[in-house]
This record gives sequence, C-alpha cells and structure tokens, in this order.
Amino acid sequence: MSKVYFSSWQGELIDNRGVKADDWQEASAKLPVQYDKENSTKAFVGWDGFALFENDVDVVKLALNYARQYQEYSEACGRCTPGRWGGQILYDMLDKIARGEGAFDDLAHIKEISSTMTTTSKCEIGKTVPVPILGMIEHFEEQFITLIKTQTKSPWYDQDDEKYIANVTAPCSDMCPTHVDIPGYIEGVRDLNFEESLASTRGAMPLAHVCGRVCPHPCEDACRRKNLDEAVSIMELKRIGADYETDHGLEWFHPVKPKKPRNDGKKIALIGAGPAGLTAAYYLGLEGIACTIFEELPVLGGEVAVGVPEYRMPIDKYNKDIQLVEDLPTVEIIRNHRVDANRLKEIVEEFDATMLGFGARLSKAIRCANENTEMKGYWGAIEMLDKVNLWHKYQIGSPAMEDLKGKTVVCVGGGFTSMDVVRCSIREGAKRVVMLYRRDEKTIIRNTTLEEYTEAVEEGVEFIFHSAIQELIDEDGQLTSLIVNKYELVPDPGGGRAQLVKIEGADFEIECDFVIPAVSQACDLQILPKEWELTMTSWGTLQTNGKDYMTSKEGLFAAGDCEYGPMTIVNAVGQARRAASVMSRYIYDGKLDLTDAEIMEDHMNRLKVFNKNEKIKGWMPGLPREESEKVETEIRKNNNVEVNLGFTAQEAQDEAQRCMRCYYLSMVAV
Amino acid sequence: MSKKIEQRNRPITVTIDNKKYQGLYGQTILEIARENDIYIPTMCYLTKVSPIASCRMCVVDVDGVDGHVLSCQEKAVDGAVITTNNDELFHQRQNIMKLYDVNHPLQCGVCDKSGECDLQNKNLEFKIQSQEFAAKDLNRKKKKWGILGYDPALCIMCEKCVHTCNEVIGSAALYIKPGGYKSTIDNKMSRCEQCGDCISVCPVGALVSNEFKYTANAWEADKIPASCAHCSSGCSQYYNVKHAGSNDPYGKIITRVTNDFEFSSLCGAGRFGFGFENKASGKDKKAFKNAIEAVKSSDSIRFNSYITNEEAKLLQTLKEKTGIKLVNEDAKNYQNFLNTYCEASGNSLYTGSNETIKTSDAIVMIGTRISRDNPGTKYAVNIATKKRRAQFVYMHPIDDIALQNKYTQFIKYEVGSEEGVIALLASYLIKEASAEYKDYFEDLDIGYLSGETSVGEEELELLEQRFVKAKNKTLIIGEDLYGHSQAENIAKLVGLIDKYTDFDVVLIPSQTNTLGVSLICTLGEDTGSKVVGYNEVGDFIISDNGTGDLQVPALNQQEGTFTSIDKRVLNTNVALNFDGYCLNDIVNEFLEYTEEYTVDYTSQLPINKGFKDIKFDDLKNGYDKYGNDLRGYYLTTSTSVSNKEVTLDEVEDINTYNGIVVYRCEPLHQFNKNTAKSLLLQTNNSLRGSAAFAMAAKIKDGDTVNIIYGSQSQTKKFKIDTSIRGTVAVYPTFDDGLMDNLISHGYRFKQVQIERQEA
Repeated sequence: MSKVYFSSWQGELIDNRGVKADDWQEASAKLPVQYDKENSTKAFVGWDGFALFENDVDVVKLALNYARQYQEYSEACGRCTPGRWGGQILYDMLDKIARGEGAFDDLAHIKEISSTMTTTSKCEIGKTVPVPILGMIEHFEEQFITLIKTQTKSPWYDQDDEKYIANVTAPCSDMCPTHVDIPGYIEGVRDLNFEESLASTRGAMPLAHVCGRVCPHPCEDACRRKNLDEAVSIMELKRIGADYETDHGLEWFHPVKPKKPRNDGKKIALIGAGPAGLTAAYYLGLEGIACTIFEELPVLGGEVAVGVPEYRMPIDKYNKDIQLVEDLPTVEIIRNHRVDANRLKEIVEEFDATMLGFGARLSKAIRCANENTEMKGYWGAIEMLDKVNLWHKYQIGSPAMEDLKGKTVVCVGGGFTSMDVVRCSIREGAKRVVMLYRRDEKTIIRNTTLEEYTEAVEEGVEFIFHSAIQELIDEDGQLTSLIVNKYELVPDPGGGRAQLVKIEGADFEIECDFVIPAVSQACDLQILPKEWELTMTSWGTLQTNGKDYMTSKEGLFAAGDCEYGPMTIVNAVGQARRAASVMSRYIYDGKLDLTDAEIMEDHMNRLKVFNKNEKIKGWMPGLPREESEKVETEIRKNNNVEVNLGFTAQEAQDEAQRCMRCYYLSMVAV
Repeated sequence: MSKKIEQRNRPITVTIDNKKYQGLYGQTILEIARENDIYIPTMCYLTKVSPIASCRMCVVDVDGVDGHVLSCQEKAVDGAVITTNNDELFHQRQNIMKLYDVNHPLQCGVCDKSGECDLQNKNLEFKIQSQEFAAKDLNRKKKKWGILGYDPALCIMCEKCVHTCNEVIGSAALYIKPGGYKSTIDNKMSRCEQCGDCISVCPVGALVSNEFKYTANAWEADKIPASCAHCSSGCSQYYNVKHAGSNDPYGKIITRVTNDFEFSSLCGAGRFGFGFENKASGKDKKAFKNAIEAVKSSDSIRFNSYITNEEAKLLQTLKEKTGIKLVNEDAKNYQNFLNTYCEASGNSLYTGSNETIKTSDAIVMIGTRISRDNPGTKYAVNIATKKRRAQFVYMHPIDDIALQNKYTQFIKYEVGSEEGVIALLASYLIKEASAEYKDYFEDLDIGYLSGETSVGEEELELLEQRFVKAKNKTLIIGEDLYGHSQAENIAKLVGLIDKYTDFDVVLIPSQTNTLGVSLICTLGEDTGSKVVGYNEVGDFIISDNGTGDLQVPALNQQEGTFTSIDKRVLNTNVALNFDGYCLNDIVNEFLEYTEEYTVDYTSQLPINKGFKDIKFDDLKNGYDKYGNDLRGYYLTTSTSVSNKEVTLDEVEDINTYNGIVVYRCEPLHQFNKNTAKSLLLQTNNSLRGSAAFAMAAKIKDGDTVNIIYGSQSQTKKFKIDTSIRGTVAVYPTFDDGLMDNLISHGYRFKQVQIERQEA
C-alpha cells in the first residue's frame, strides 16, 4: 500500500484531490514513495501510469521530463521510427506548452503521435512512454490548457530544484537477481551481432558460459511472452555470444573498456573464487580497482567447478569465464590458500574492504534413525560430487567409478544437487540409482527444471515420490539397506495447504550400497572469528540488509551462499555485483551509498515489473518455443559429454525473434 | 531432435487479403506475401539480411490478434487470416512517413539519391505534401570514411548498412551509436574494407561515394547489366553509363557501378574498379594486318584468363584451324588440377559453389588468401559463419586478419608442404574407402607428415571433433595448390575426399574465367620461339589495355560470357563502345565460315563440357523480384560418372621453404591490369611484410628493395604491414603491366633474395 495524492498506476485510479492528507486513499501497489533514507519522492512516472505523492506537482513539467528521460536516459532507443522521432516530437511539443508557446493543436498532435508510437513501436518502451503522458493530459488537462490559453510559462519551468531519476528495466531483467540486460543480449543474437550480445550479458553477468547453461532462469517466469504463448528460452540464448567468442578465439568483449589500474594503494580482498568472488573481481577489475581472491582449492570456480558435473557445465567453457576475470590487470587470484579465522583477521587488517564469498559446502543430515556419517556407504552429496568432478575435470584423486560401479545408490533430495548426484551415479556405472523425494513429480520439476528431470528419467534414474527414509540398516558399519516410509497428500478440508501424511503399513525396504543425502547444505562458519560476534540469520548465514551486503562488521561484506544460504549461481552473481559496486565507493569514503541506478533497481523490484494478467498486443501468438538438441540418452549416459548441444544458428535466431523487447522506462521526481 | 525442426518447412496455408496462399512454416508473413506479389510497404527490409524491424511500416492486421503485427519478422502460422491494408494501417504508415520527414533536409535538388530515393517514393505513395512535424534541429556533422561519405542529417536509421556490413561483408565496421533522436551510424575505420555495399543498400542519400557525389542524377544513367570482370565470383552488376558531357558530345562515360543490392553484394573492386576501358579508338588497319601476319608466323599465343568464354572459343578455333599453340599457364595448371580431381572423384566437375558455401555449417579452406583472391567467396564464408554459425577452419602459411572473426580454427602449415597437409587432412576425413586407398592412408607416416607440415595431430583432432555435428560441409581449395610441384597428387587426394566423405569441394578458379578457359581450350605447356601475346607479353602484342601493337576492347566494352566459380555461364554486356578491331576480326581472317559477332560463339561452346546450345541474345540479365539470379545458365554437371581408381603417389620428401619467402598476392581490391587502371582504387604496390620479415631480410619500412628471383630483379618499396604475421612477405603483381614477371608463374610462394637499394 502506498500513500498517494493521485495515482493511475496499473489501472487503479486513486484521486485524493480536495481530500485532506490524513484521509487520503492509498494505492495498492508498492510505489516508490520514499526515494532513499533522506529523500521522499514527489512523483513517480512509469509505463503503466503515474503517481503523485504531493499535492503541488507541476504535471506539465513532469510529463516534459519523462519525455526528456526517454530521449536522454534510455539509450536503448532510437532503433525504430516511431520511437526515435515520435519521442522527440512528444518532448518538443511538451516543451513548447511548458514554456508558454503551446497551441491546442499541439495537444492533438501529441495524441496523434502517441497513437502511432503505442501501436507500431519496436519495443515496449516506445509503446508505453506515451501512456503516462496521455494520462497526465487526461487527468490534469487544466494544467496544460491554462498554459496554452494564457501563453505563460509553467511556474516551475526555469527552476531546477527537482531531481529526475530514470531507470530502464524489463520484466525479465527485473526478475533476474543480477538484472542482466536480457532484451539487449537477445537483440544481439537476433541481429547476428554476437559481440554486442555478449557485451550486453557481461554488463551484469560475467559468467556467460555458466549462466547460459545451468541457470535455473527465474527470468523466464517473468517473460511477458508467457502471457501470449510460451516464455522465450532466455537462458540458452545467453550462451550464443559466449560460444561465439570462444569458438573464434577472439579477444574479450567487455561491456565497457576496462579502466586503467588505479594504483592508489586501495585494495579489496575476496574470499573464495566461486561465482560471487569472480563476479566481484570482474566488476572491481573493470573499474581498475586492485583485488585479491583467496581460494582454498587448487582449482578455481567454487561449487560450480567441483559440484556441477561436466555433462551439464563443461569445465573448458567455465574456464573461459574464469579466464575473463583473471585476465583483468588488477585481479590477483591466490590458489591453495585456506583462510581460517586467524588469517581472516589478518586479511581484514590488510585490505580496505573484504568480501566473504564462500559457499555452503556441508551436507546436511537426513534426520533418520541410525544415521551415522562414519557408516560405510553413507556419502555426503558434496563429497561425492567433489570426487567425481575433481577426477573428470582435473584428474585429481581417483575415479568414483571404483566405488560406484555395479552398486545400488539411493539419493535423498529433490533439488539440483540431488539431480547431479543421481545422474553422475549413472555415469559412474551404478547398477541401480534411486531418488527418494518427499513430495511429488510436479514439485521436483518446479524445484529444478523440466529438462533436468526428463533427462534423469531418460538416463534410468528411478524416482520414488512421497517417500522418506525412516532408518538406515547396517551390518558391522556397512550400509545394507534402508527402511522407507510412504506418504500421501491429504487435502486440507479447511481449504489450506495439503498435508503429507504417512501411510501406515506401506513401509518398504531398499537394499543398497550407498545412501547419499542431498537434502541441503550449510556453510562452514569456522572461518569467522568468534570475537567479532557477527550477526547471523536464523538459518546460519551472514546477516546483511540485502542492499549493500555489509555484515554487522564494518568493512566486511558477504555475498552468495554464505549470505543467502544455498541458492543459485545467478543469485550469488547479483549480490556480488552489488557488493562490488558498494565497496568500490566504500573504500574511498567509508559510506555505503547505492547509486541512483541501484536504488531504482530495488524500487522496481519491490513494485514488481511483470504483470501476469496483462494482455499482449501486437504479437502473433502460437510460435512455439525453440528446443535445443540433446545428445541421445544411449550415447550420453556412459560419459561426460555435454548433454545440451545448444541452439543451431537458425533456432537461435528464431527464438530471439520471439522476444518482445519489453523495456520499460520509469522515473521519479525527488 | 527438437520439435521445431520438425515444424520447419511444413506446408501451411494462410489467407492474405481474402485469398488463400501456400507457404512453409518458418517463412515470414512478408515473405509469403512477396512470393505471391502482394505488396506490403517497407523502408528497412533488406532481403539479403535478417529482418531489421526498425521502420515499422510493414505492420499488418491478423484476425484474432490485438494490435498490428510486424510482417517482416513474424512467422506466418497455419490458418492465419491477414489483412495487409486498411484505413487504420494506411494512417499509421502515413504517420511513420511523417516522422521520417521530421527535419529531413529539403535538398533533393542536389541529392545523389533523388529519383531513386525510397523516402521520396514513399512520401508520394502516402500522399504527404509537407513536413508536418519538426523537432529542434541538431548540428549533425558530415563524415568522410575513405571513399564513403555519410550525412547523418539525411540518415533515416533504417540500419540496412549496419546489417549488410556485419552479415554479408563480415567487416562489422558500421555500427549504431544509440541515443534516441541523436542516434547515428558510425564506422570503425580499421575494420572498413571500403567495399561500398553500404552505399548501395542506403535507401536515401545518407551514404554516398565521395567520388560519385554530384556527378550524375539517378535518371540520367543507362544501367547496363553485366557480370563483374575482376574475379571468378562474377557478381551481377550494372555499369551506369551516361553522356560524357559537352566537351565530348558523342562520348559516354561510366559514372558508377550499381547492383541488385536487395539480393547480392559487390566488393570494392567490382563497385569502384570500373574505369578500365581501352581508350584507344578507331580501326588501325596497319596494325591489324601486322597482327594477322604475326599470328601466321608465330607458333603460339600466350594469354590469360581475364577473357570471355567466346574469346576462349575464338582462340580454340584459331588453334584448330592453324595449329597454333595456346599457352595460358594459369588455366593450364587449373585444368590439370581439375581433370585429375575429376578422375579421382568420379565427378564431371567440382561439387560445391559459393551458394553451397553459404549454407555450410563446416568449412575447410586451404591454399588461398581468400580475402584478396575472391571476395565473393569470402562473403559466402562470412554468411555461413553468421547465419549458420559454421565451424570454419582456415589453413594457410600466413594468418589473415580479415578472417579472424570468421574462422573458428586457424591451422598454419609450412610453405611448400601442401601435399603433406592434404594427405593428413584426407587421412583424418576419409573414414571409408576402397581397400587400396585404405592401405595407402594406413601406411601414411602421420608423425612425419605432422612434423614436416607443422600441422599438429591435435589440431586435426579438434577439427574432426568440431565437425561432428555438421551436416553441410565444404572443402575450399585455392590457387596455391594448382601451381604446386605435387599438384597432381594433391588433386587426387582432394578428389578422394570428395568421393569418400560428405564434403563438397570447390576449386576456386584463380582468374575471372579460368574455369571457362580450362573447359574450352586445349592448352600447351610452353611457348615456342615466336609468340603472339593476347593481353600478355609476346613478340606481337594484342591488348585491351591501351598498350601493345593492336588494340582490342576491354571486358567492359565487350559482350560475352564468363564461367564462374558457381559453375555458371554468366553474360555481360557492352558498357562503353569500342570502335576498333576485336579478336573475332582476326580469327575471321582464317575461316571460311565466318561469324559476324563474337557472341555468335556463345551457342557453340563445348556441350561435352557442360555448356549449352543457347544463343547469347536468349540469356537473361540481372535478378527477378523474387531474388533469383536470372543471368546465363548452369553448366550441366554430373557426379559419380566413373569409378576409376587412381594411383596415389607416396608423399615422400616434403620440401618446405626456408630463407626469404614472398607470396604472390594482390592488395585489397586489386586483381590485375584492369583494376590497376581504376583511379578509384588504392594502388599500393609495395612489398609488404611483418617486422619479423624485415628483420630476416635486413630491410626497413620505406626501403626500396631489389627482389631477385631467378634471372630477374624487381624493384619495389617495402612497407611493414602489422596485419601480416609471420615471416612471409606479400608480393603484388597487379601493376606489372605487360612485363613477364617470373614471380607470376607457378607456385605462389617464392624463395627470393632481397637487397636494399642504397639511397
């Protein structure tokens, strides 16, 4: 709920004109009423309406400035006739009215041009910019008419006391934790300009190979194309640019030219060379700021390297993403360097800021009878995947096949890690691989992806739903079988959430050689000096405010799984990117300021950009989403070749053409 | 297999303006409409590139769909009911035109584009009589990019030039500088090839040739359809010809070259290298008599392959009549290579073409510096790498900076080791073959070959691995191999690759009509003691170049045909008249049954070589509106005509070159005497090499050097060229004129001595 003087946001008309401020009716959307700690907002203008938070806003000037921001801020524009010239005409006409030289014809022209912009523009930004402007003319017509009739300047015309802050977003970009310019990189694929595509991706996402392959793509849940037919295959289009760069062995395409090393003595420490550490290093490196990554393992990449299997995320591709970061002149990476509590204290002393970017690498327990981590055959998912991946990717250790060949493996889980466990077990030659999951098929698909689940089934993984282990059975410390309880979903007669209820007498036993718990992971917190008394979340991670990512200790930041708990790669990237930005200023002024772009990003995220009820206009429905070719089951299940062959050139372009370029422009007056 | 591949190309039916039409799934609404002659207005649509979608003029209505749908990009779905025009659509399109007119300078009177300008045309179509809207004017500065001129005030930001530069030409020099109303086009000049294709696709007068500017109005020129005379791609083009002006009331001049830019492209040589006509005039009867005497008293005619099929046929006729020997080293080497390849592959001619290259997803290229040798093929490769994301393996002793954003693998081999390279390639690519060949490949000493050629086994393994997914593969062979001492064995191996793998093979004809000459003429090896030179050095020289003993017309002054890399007979026409003698006049002196015109021989080209009995006047010109190249006809070819086994030679001693080595290769947009004559093309004739070469040869940038080869010594300036890597220098011959330069003969790499001239 937001307190507004007037709002037409998303079709909800709130008009408190003539109403005492105390009695103002509230708008239901979470509008950006308070810009930041110091400043309240006077007005908000966006793609689906506008809102005034004070009763003395000059609406003509507001309209004029929104049109101006469309010209000046939204550099994505200028790519179609109605948007390029129409936007400028809107601005010029509004300026004419505001400076007291307007005519009634100008209002008619604004409406005429707006109709062409809204029906024929290339992107949503061109289609929606006229929406709030027309709304202002409709609801505050008298302000426009007075200026035209009296041929006088708007009283605020020459005053420059208001600050207008604009932001361009899109539903998909907003939903992406790191706010990748998704329409931008898709446009690059559409235009066969792969260089531009990759540069767009890297504006917010250095791990283009990784997140073009193994991202769970929350963006696709917010794809407007879903309202028409099916979401665009956003994630897979990301790897096109990265594959192009790698295939052609070209020089790195950076989003901006990396700045010269600052060499000013300032430096930042990053703990862990996983997605969070690499991301922070990349954006600090682009700024020319010196940073050092301390990595415990001899190999780089964190859990994505040692956890995610080769057949999903080929290491030579991930190494390209890593090389991109390592090649920046101010980035230093130290391998085989375990940071413990004492070392961390030294580092924090030595560096101007430190970001913790370690992962959640402790396998949680199943919580069943006779559970004993020392039991032979009891194998934590993280340890099991470490062994598999270190061998296949780096020839470190020994093949897991020696343990698993011909054996029966039972995995308890339901998330990505458990999928990796079962599919790796198949590849390591296990005779029977069972996945036990408490909930149903639909939920496991929602928690992972349909592709992942389908491919696992194809490869021969047995899924047993609505089941949980009651007890491990062993003989002299060697696991021999499991007692499993069956559950059923009983609807709540009161209409609440259905409950899982154990079916009495349906217990069964599975003989097995291994049980691999992949229930969840926790962080190893021994690295944190006790005396710092850091504020922790209830689930055992470092507490920050989720905006600047500083922990309760001054100068100590945290991003990724150690902040959020076990989550996606893209989440770690998003947090680390923000943390890097905050740290890049913090090391100079000790403040934790966000940029206007970041403040607006957060406001839009709170407001919600994707509207699942919107009806789509101007696009032909019924063009199916492209599916990339996968290596056939019989060929892939005995080895580690990448399962997903990726889009062909034709498929990629066809899919890119399905993108509706839903850029939106928003603006606040502060 | 994905479901979309199954969908693609399935027949669909759509209704457009109340009539039903058939199409294929994957086609856009606009494509189906255009195929069926239904007009939908566009400003930014360019058939040869992917939909740009900037102008928004092509919006149509589809039943059941809210709002207007963009017909250039939206695929038609089965059963769609489409309306291409109604009052509302007309109104919106009219508004778009009004927006295009915002502040567009009213300088049509002096604009090069006036008369063929899309903006003018569409304003008329949408009945716009005045500039209804205006915006605050911006001070937009004109730009000069070499031969290109750009006026941002005239630019309508359709983006056709940017797409062409990236998708077809492959330089990706032009790019968009975004910024709303301020947005503009800019050029990364270090990438720009000066091909001028951007000029041709520009719908308004924003991009022009600085040389053409203010020289002619669009409506003054006669557009003479022709095929480009400079290389074997034989691109379709039009010589724009107009009166020469008041000083020369009967004369004509070529003002520029245009092309069917909607469907095809030209390189800079084709577009700007048109000024090579023979300026001599009148019939010099004495010289003609001398020419007849010279032919009678000589034992051979030396010529090159920058001639038409008809000229080749005339020479062949003369040979058959008089017994005079025909000598054309270029065509002879090619002919030998082609014949041997055909024997080994069992095909009547090679199997690929520029067209098949464009649709390839795997390409291996060996023995050519393609960006210089044949720009048309380079464009085809670029299209494959962009539109098919083709794996492209470039194999050559010298890396080529112009290909770096195209190849996915560069394999460097030693100069002279081509036979070993092809043998290695064949042994990797050929999986199944008859027992004898199998034994041959099994017996190959891979380690030795790899060592001598410098082609690593892991490089070939990578190539193999990357080609696994490929469905359309092409092997492109260039001129380096035809003149190689082991050319015969190389040709056999290439033939076997064609026979036993799914690769198509293209043997790039080294000069414009090398393929035609090699099919038409019976060629001898060496000249005798007395030689008539036809555009070549000789005791008596017949030349189209303004020098020599008898003048004949140049290729833009003749009608006739070329045989192109696409195995296609392409007709060309007279742009400028030539009123002197021609080869036909000479040959007629030796015949009982004479032909009046050279093109009377078009229908007499050898049918057993694939030519057809079609009269010149029955050949069509240019492209039709559906994008079909109507010119000429395809040679009749057949595959698997024989199954003869050839005997392969052992690959024994591989002689690689050491010391100072030069590579015969022309600079960008230069090919020969003709392009050398053009005033619009750069004529840098320096020896160019890397700093490493300079060091090895003990010379410096700017030095004048003597290049000594055999008994000859040539003097050239030396330039350090940072785009050339390694220790081989590039040696141009286009400006040799009628000098017999030994470096021009045979294998393109030469071991030479270089001496610095003292100042």
